[in-house]
Amino acid sequence: MVYLDYAATSPLLDEVVVAMHRAEKELFANASALHTPGHLALNEVEDCRKLLAELINAKPEEIIFTASASEANNTVIRTFEGYKIDTSPLEHHSIIESAKIYSGDKNPKLYSYMLANNETGEFLELPKKKDGEYLHSDLTQVLGKMPINVKKLGLDYATFSAHKIGGPVGVGALYVRTDVPFKPLIIGGNQEKKRRGGTYNTVGISGFKAALEYAKKNVTWEIYDKKVRGLRDTLAKRILDEIPGSSLNTDIKKGESLPNILNASFEAAEGESIQLYLDAEGIIVSTGSACAAGDIKPSHVLMAKTGDAEVAHSSIRFSFGLSNTMEDVEKVMAVLPQIIANLQGMSTIKIRSMNE
Amino acid sequence: MSDGKSDTGDWVYSDTVKDHFLNPRNFLMGDESKFDYDAVGLVGNPICGDQMKMYIKVKDDKIFDLRWKTYGCASAIASTSALSELAKGKTLDEALQISAKDIDNYLGNLPKHKFHCSILGHDALRDAINNYRSNKK
Repeated sequence: MVYLDYAATSPLLDEVVVAMHRAEKELFANASALHTPGHLALNEVEDCRKLLAELINAKPEEIIFTASASEANNTVIRTFEGYKIDTSPLEHHSIIESAKIYSGDKNPKLYSYMLANNETGEFLELPKKKDGEYLHSDLTQVLGKMPINVKKLGLDYATFSAHKIGGPVGVGALYVRTDVPFKPLIIGGNQEKKRRGGTYNTVGISGFKAALEYAKKNVTWEIYDKKVRGLRDTLAKRILDEIPGSSLNTDIKKGESLPNILNASFEAAEGESIQLYLDAEGIIVSTGSACAAGDIKPSHVLMAKTGDAEVAHSSIRFSFGLSNTMEDVEKVMAVLPQIIANLQGMSTIKIRSMNE
Repeated sequence: MSDGKSDTGDWVYSDTVKDHFLNPRNFLMGDESKFDYDAVGLVGNPICGDQMKMYIKVKDDKIFDLRWKTYGCASAIASTSALSELAKGKTLDEALQISAKDIDNYLGNLPKHKFHCSILGHDALRDAINNYRSNKK
């Protein structure tokens, strides 16, 4: 199998599997308990907190663990219930949908802008907030792919997720700068200094810690910048060179996008069909087509970016991880041109480049 | 973004759907002049993600042969392929009676959210038959 859906979720790193297995056996106690096993579990949670804080230039007490990035996003938005909330049109649904529910007209304003988009990998310009305003950024796709400094970025809140960096699903984290507004989403527990109720997910957090240790030790952002970028750019170039009717939805110039995501569209071929023909060849990707998501509308991100439903319906996202190789790119290009040619040949739409 | 997987198995789709998607029957590859047809019908819109075209060859008031083209998702391809099997050899009146439900039954039931958006082929077939009849007048 050639797995190119790392931006959706990543397989567990071996180090994570080992850490979680150990935690399941040895760190099972409730981390809030006063007894010795409880202390051992709490130490693991706090070690992870310190490590994440170190990697993003924050203080450990500014980190809150959640059960997902979506929960972290919801928590920030709901904190500003009744206040002005400005989000980019490219945000994750956990921002857009909750902002629809909670935004109002009170000041100060909250801005929520992701640094890099999950579908195209492209960077967004963070808004310049005025004094008294607040800025949140969903950094789910950025962690491990680039160095992060929340102070330099001027962030008051930031969202992270374990499962995009080889950690487990079910562990998110929220950076909340000291002395900014905060309203817990889950109440009824003293955990996380009363900022998020619920028994500590020690096993999951232990996995997150192992994934963060891996990132720090291997300086993964440098591997992404060099090796992974090379794979992504090679695939992009070969798609454009070898597949008629193809176009890129990701600007692959350095400084314009994350090095591991490539979104491309294939004229006259529909995304879900491309995805499933690739799947039948053991190549795993995702699509912004409406059909695949069980949605009526195609990707809001590609619609916002291109304004063209056909481009959105015909889009495929290839997202690379640390274990991908040039051989994976070769395998994709061994089958993708024929898949696209077949779909274009069977399509009711003629591709423009052939008409010209 | 969905990965096209479900909780019920490796594919959202039944084995029959998968078979018709991976090995579509009676489709028209490339230029439509390759098939000697008497009438053609069209349904759908690429903006909505699905469009189908049906080309029919009629003999003795029966669908002697047919081909199709589809822009669309896996279930659109599979359902048009299934329809082409259902319609072949039927009289025009019988073919006009083929419904989305018939296609769905033939395929072993498509996922619910796919039903309305991707089973459109019978409308293209009706369009083709109507065009055939009005051309003859």
